[in-house]
Amino acid sequence: MLSILDLLGTIGAAALGLPGILGVALGMTTRNPLVAGLLAAMVGVVSPLVLGGSHSTHVAITPLEYGVALVIGALAGLVGCAIRRKGATV
Amino acid sequence: MSDTNKRGLLRRLWEGFWSPAAVLSTGFLLIAGFIAGIVFWGGFNWSLELTNTEEFCTSCHTMETNLGEYRETIHYNNHSGVRAICSDCHVPHEWQYKMKAKIMAVKDVYHELRGTISTPEKYEERRLEMASAVWTKMKASDSRECRNCHAFEYMDFTIQETRAAQNHQKAIDTGMTCIDCHQGIAHDLAPGYLEEYNHVVQKLAAKEHDADIDVAGIKAFLGTKAE
Repeated sequence: MLSILDLLGTIGAAALGLPGILGVALGMTTRNPLVAGLLAAMVGVVSPLVLGGSHSTHVAITPLEYGVALVIGALAGLVGCAIRRKGATV
Repeated sequence: MSDTNKRGLLRRLWEGFWSPAAVLSTGFLLIAGFIAGIVFWGGFNWSLELTNTEEFCTSCHTMETNLGEYRETIHYNNHSGVRAICSDCHVPHEWQYKMKAKIMAVKDVYHELRGTISTPEKYEERRLEMASAVWTKMKASDSRECRNCHAFEYMDFTIQETRAAQNHQKAIDTGMTCIDCHQGIAHDLAPGYLEEYNHVVQKLAAKEHDADIDVAGIKAFLGTKAE
């Protein structure tokens, strides 16, 4: 039960954090879904490195955090790309 | 007929939403979007902070027991006048972990509605399980929330009690973390808590395969304390 909650929490946090928000923004900069997905996935990989852990402890960032951030980032990029294709003519 | 009208309205709204702006300039849309973003984010963050207050945390009936216990501890009343409220120990400061904690806390609403711990008997039945879940989180995060206020680096062992100074030095030397000793710092402990904490330590060590965790040392320390 806790692990499912943990996963849901990690997904929600990634969606409301840098991978989700910056991912959509970067996705909106291109009409190419592949580029959008890759750009946003990169944010997903970098954001746990930049924002993960804490100032006072040295706990390693888990592969789950990286994986979820990467997938959510890529999905957010694709959403951003879809917004661009639907809402812009350029 | 009403279905057709409803679909027509939705269709018109959808198409209007995705159509180029005919009367608004790009600058207007950018500035309006920027301001709307600030208002939305400010409101979101303000609402989130409201859920960090003690009043919010203890507004549920099931929180009365742990509130009473917490009010007897040094984190509630102390000589310095500094108080750590619920969120200081249970909600991380870092954004992504804070959001995760908030999302996971939805389970508390579910259990409040189900009445899982609605009576003192039910509460006692679940006390060890609830404590174990919190200990697992704290151990896994190296007591991150404790360390928002407390740090070994800032401790002056010369003005601590001898026992405390010795144990803190031992904790530094053996890589222990706050929750390894301070399990009952804010709430009463259930019978068999040391065995359960040992189980938590072993479970996490097996999961992480982390050679730095001195499981034997921690177990030895807990064993000593149990005697």
